[in-house]
Amino acid sequence: MRIYEDLRGLQGRLAIIQWVMVGLMGLLTVNFWQLQVLRGKYYRNLAENNRIRPVAIPAPRGLIFDRNGRVLVDNRPSFNIVLTTEQTEDVERSVRRLAALVQVEPAVITQKLLQKKGPQFRAVIVKPDASEQDVATVEARRLEQPEASVDPVPLRAYPLGQGAAHVLGRVGEITDRQLESDAYAGIEAGVTVGQAGVEAEHNRLLMGKDGLRRVVVNSRGVEVAEAERQPPVEGPSVSLTIDIKLQQALEEAMAGRPGSAVAIDPRNGEILAMLSLPSYDPNEFAKGIEPAAWTELSKDPLTPLMNRVIQGQYSPGSSFKIPMALAALQEGVITPQTKFNCPGYLNIYNTTFRCHKVEGHGSLDLRRAIALSCNVYFYNVGVRLGIERIARYARRVGFNTPTGVDLPAEVTGLMPDPDWKRKVYKDKWYPSETVSISIGQGGVLATPLQMARVAAVVANGGRLVKPHLIKAVAGVPVTEPPAENLGFHPSVIEGVKAGMLAVVAEGTGRRAQLNGITVAGKTGSAQVVTHARLEQDKKSHAMQPHGWFICFAPAEKPTIAMGVLVEHGTAGGQSAAPVAGQVLSKYFGVPLAFPPVVPPEQDTPVPQPAPPRAAQ
Amino acid sequence: MNIDWVLVGACLVLSAIGVATIFSATFAGRGLGLEIKQIYWILIGIVALLISVTLDYRRLTDRALFLYVFIVAALIYVLVLGPRIQGTRRWILMGPIQFQPSEFAKLVAALLLAKVFAESKRETLGVREILGPGLTIAVLVLLIAAEPDLGTAFCMLPPFLAVAFLGGLRPKAIAIIAGVLILFGGLGWQFALKDYQKNRIYTFLDPNLDPRGAGYQKIQSQIAVGSGGLSGKGYKQGSQSQLGYLPARHTDFIFSVLAEEMGFLGVTTVLALYLLVLWRALESARAARDRVGAFLAAGITAGLAFQVVYNVAMVAGLVPVKGLPLPFMSYGGSSVIYSFLAVGLILNVRMRRFAN
Repeated sequence: MRIYEDLRGLQGRLAIIQWVMVGLMGLLTVNFWQLQVLRGKYYRNLAENNRIRPVAIPAPRGLIFDRNGRVLVDNRPSFNIVLTTEQTEDVERSVRRLAALVQVEPAVITQKLLQKKGPQFRAVIVKPDASEQDVATVEARRLEQPEASVDPVPLRAYPLGQGAAHVLGRVGEITDRQLESDAYAGIEAGVTVGQAGVEAEHNRLLMGKDGLRRVVVNSRGVEVAEAERQPPVEGPSVSLTIDIKLQQALEEAMAGRPGSAVAIDPRNGEILAMLSLPSYDPNEFAKGIEPAAWTELSKDPLTPLMNRVIQGQYSPGSSFKIPMALAALQEGVITPQTKFNCPGYLNIYNTTFRCHKVEGHGSLDLRRAIALSCNVYFYNVGVRLGIERIARYARRVGFNTPTGVDLPAEVTGLMPDPDWKRKVYKDKWYPSETVSISIGQGGVLATPLQMARVAAVVANGGRLVKPHLIKAVAGVPVTEPPAENLGFHPSVIEGVKAGMLAVVAEGTGRRAQLNGITVAGKTGSAQVVTHARLEQDKKSHAMQPHGWFICFAPAEKPTIAMGVLVEHGTAGGQSAAPVAGQVLSKYFGVPLAFPPVVPPEQDTPVPQPAPPRAAQ
Repeated sequence: MNIDWVLVGACLVLSAIGVATIFSATFAGRGLGLEIKQIYWILIGIVALLISVTLDYRRLTDRALFLYVFIVAALIYVLVLGPRIQGTRRWILMGPIQFQPSEFAKLVAALLLAKVFAESKRETLGVREILGPGLTIAVLVLLIAAEPDLGTAFCMLPPFLAVAFLGGLRPKAIAIIAGVLILFGGLGWQFALKDYQKNRIYTFLDPNLDPRGAGYQKIQSQIAVGSGGLSGKGYKQGSQSQLGYLPARHTDFIFSVLAEEMGFLGVTTVLALYLLVLWRALESARAARDRVGAFLAAGITAGLAFQVVYNVAMVAGLVPVKGLPLPFMSYGGSSVIYSFLAVGLILNVRMRRFAN
C-alpha cells in the first residue's frame, strides 16, 4: 500500500509548462499570420517567378523576293541544342556530358556560358542547326539532363548561295556594339539581327515581332505546362528591285574576276542588279559562323565581305570625262562643235601632259574626243572650266556624296578642290592639278554606284535618281520621291549622249556594241600606281589599272544604266565594256556585235584608253 | 479504461491530415503510394499504442536502466556496424523492417529521467543533483549527434529540462545549466559540427549566400508558406510542392505543403490540434497519481512539443534546417510509431491514476 505523494507543487509547475506551450503556439501563429497574410502577396510573386519562365518564340524574318517574285531569301526550320544552367548544380559535369553527346568541345560551351548575357534562365546555344541524330540524342535524355534541350528556330536560308550576297547581306547574333546603338534599341542580347546588306538596312522591318511563351517549369527546369502564348508575327515579305536573271547574267559575265558591277533603272533609280566580287556565302553566317571561317573571310586581302559597289572607292579615270563634258557644255565653255588639236600632248604650266595616243588624235570635236577618250581635248576643257566649276558640277551629278542607297555603310568618294586641299593638306591648289582632274585622275574617287548614276543622269535627261532596292513591302509598292532635276539644258545632254553613243559605235567601247539595241557608254582606266612605276613592272597584275565602263541602253529610251569596274582589268574597253555588252545582250535578248569567241588578235583593233601619260 | 479519447482523437485527425498531405505532396512525384504505406505505419503505431497502454508504466520505469543500456548498445551498434545511408549511420535494418533507434532513445530517456528524478526526495534540486541524470542523457545526445542526427539529439534536452524543472530545479541551477549548454554549444561549433552543418547555420543567417545550396530549402519553404496566403492555393494546387521546388516535402517539410495549399486557416487548425494534444498530455501528467507518472508524461510531452515547435518554426524559416520530422504528420515509420508510443505512455499514466 502506497501513500499518495504530495503533488501540489508539481501541479503549479505543470501548469507553467502548459501555458509556456500555449505561448509558443501563439507566437508561431503570429509568425504565420505575418508570413502568409501580411506578406502573402510578396511570396506569391516569388512563387510565380519560381515557376513561370518567359521564353521568346523567334519570329521568322520576312522573306525576300526579286522584282519578279523569285525567292532570294527564305527561312527553313532548324534545331538548336541549348543549355539552361539556371537550375543546374554541377554545371561543369553537365557541360561535359552534353559536349560528349553532341560532339562539341567542352571548352567552347564553357566559353559561351561565360559570355552569356541577359537573365539567368536564358539558354545558351551549344550547337546551332543540329543534326536529326543530335536532336534525338538530347531529347532522349530530357529526364536525366533537363538542362539540355532542343530549341526549334527558323533559320535564314539563301538559296542563291554567294549570289547577290552583298545585296541581301547576312544575319548574325547582335553584337555588343549594336546592343548599345539606337538603331537596335529594344533588341535583347542573343537575338539574331541583320549584319549586312538589306538584312541589316531593313532589319526592323524584316524582323517581325517575336512571340512569347510563358511556361511553367518544375524545380529541375523542365517545362511542364504552358501558361500563355503570344504567337510571333512574321516579318513582312519584301520585294527587291533586283532582277535575279540580270543579276545572274552579271555574275556570269564577270566570271569571278574581282570587281563590281551595278545596273540601275535610270528612270527611277531601282537597282536591277548589284554584284561585288569576290563574294561569300551568307548561309555560313546564318547559324553563327565558325571563328576560323570568319577569320579567313575578314582577313582575306581580296575583302570578300566588302560591297565594292558602294564601298569601293576608285579613281574614275576617263569616265570622269562625262561630268567634264556636262559641265563644259552647260557653262558654255565649249559647244559640241568646239575643236581642239591633239598632237599627243599638251604643254601647260611648265609641264607636259600626254595623251594616251602618242602620235595624237589631230583636230577633233567633243563627240570624237569622248569616243576616242582624248586626254588633250579634256585638258583644254579643264583649263577653261577651272577647278571650282569642275568640282561644283561633279558634286551636282553625285560625286563626293553618298547616293543614299538603302544599304549600310556606303562611302562618300572624293572630289578634291582648293577648299578640300587647304583643309587636308594645308596647301594651295596648283593649276596643274586641275589638268589631272580633267581626266579623272588627281585624287578623284568614286564608287561604281556613283558612276552608274552619272550614266543615268545622261540617260534620263539630267535627273539625279536615288538608287534603291526596295520595290514593295508585303505587296504594297514603295514609292520613291521623284528624282531631282539638275537643270541641264537638253542640248547639253544631247551633246554628251552623242559622244557616248560614239564610244560604243566607233570608239573605245565597241566591245559593248549590240546588234539591234543602241548602247551609249564611256570607258575608263583607273590608275593604281604612277605611270612610271607601272612601266617598271608591266607584267605585275596588282599594278594594272582598274577597267571602267559606264553605259546605258537603249539610247533612245534608256531603261538600264550600268557601272562596271574590273579590278586590274587594264583598259576599260578591254575588260569592263565586254562585261556590260554581255549583260545587255542577255537583258535585251539581242546578240553582241563583237562576240567574245573571236580571239582579240584577229578582232578589229580597238583603240585603247591606255593609262594617261600625265607625268608630273 | 479511462482513456482520453479527445487526445487520441486529435492524434488520429493529425495523422489523417498527414496522410492527405503526403498524398498531395507526392502526387506528381515518384513516391506514389507513400500515403498507403503511411496508413500502414499509423496502424502499426496504433498497435504499439495499445501494447504500451496495457503495461503499467511503473514496470517500464523500473526497467529504465536496462532499457537505457539496451538502447546505448543499439546506438553504438548503429554507429559501428549500421549501414551508411546518405552519409549518416542512423538505421538498423532487420529484413524488410528498418528503424532508427534514436527515435526510441527519446522514450527511454524520458523513462530514465522520470525514474531518477522521482527517486530524489528533495524539495529543490541543485546542479549536483542533476549532474548524474544529465551525464546519462549526454551519452545519448553524443551518440545520436555522432550519427550525425543533430535534430534528434537536441530532442533529448527538452525532456531533461522539463523533468528537472518539475523536480524542483533552483533558478541558480537553471542559470548554470544554460551557461554549460552555451559553452558546449560553442565547443561543439568549433570541434564537433561538420562543415555541412556549419554551412546550414551560416546560410540560415543569410540564405542568399547560397540560394541553390544550403539556403535553398529555407527560401523555398518560406516561399511555399508565404504564398499560401489566408486560405491556401487549394489541395494539390501548391506550385512550390507540386513542381518540386520544396525539398523533403513529404517528410520534414510536410507542414510547408500544408501551409501552401491550405493557407493560414489550415495552419491554425493544425497548430490548434497540436496544442490540444500537448495540453491534454500535460493534463495527464497533472492527473498522475505519483511523481514518476507525472515526470514521465511531462518528459515525453516536452519531447513531442519540442519537435512540433521546432519543425513548424523551421518550415517558417525561423530556425536552421534540421532533419526533424513533425510528429504524426511527417512520412516515415519510425517517427509515426514513436509518436503513437509516446501518446500510449501518456495515456498509460492517466489510466493508472487510481490504481495501486
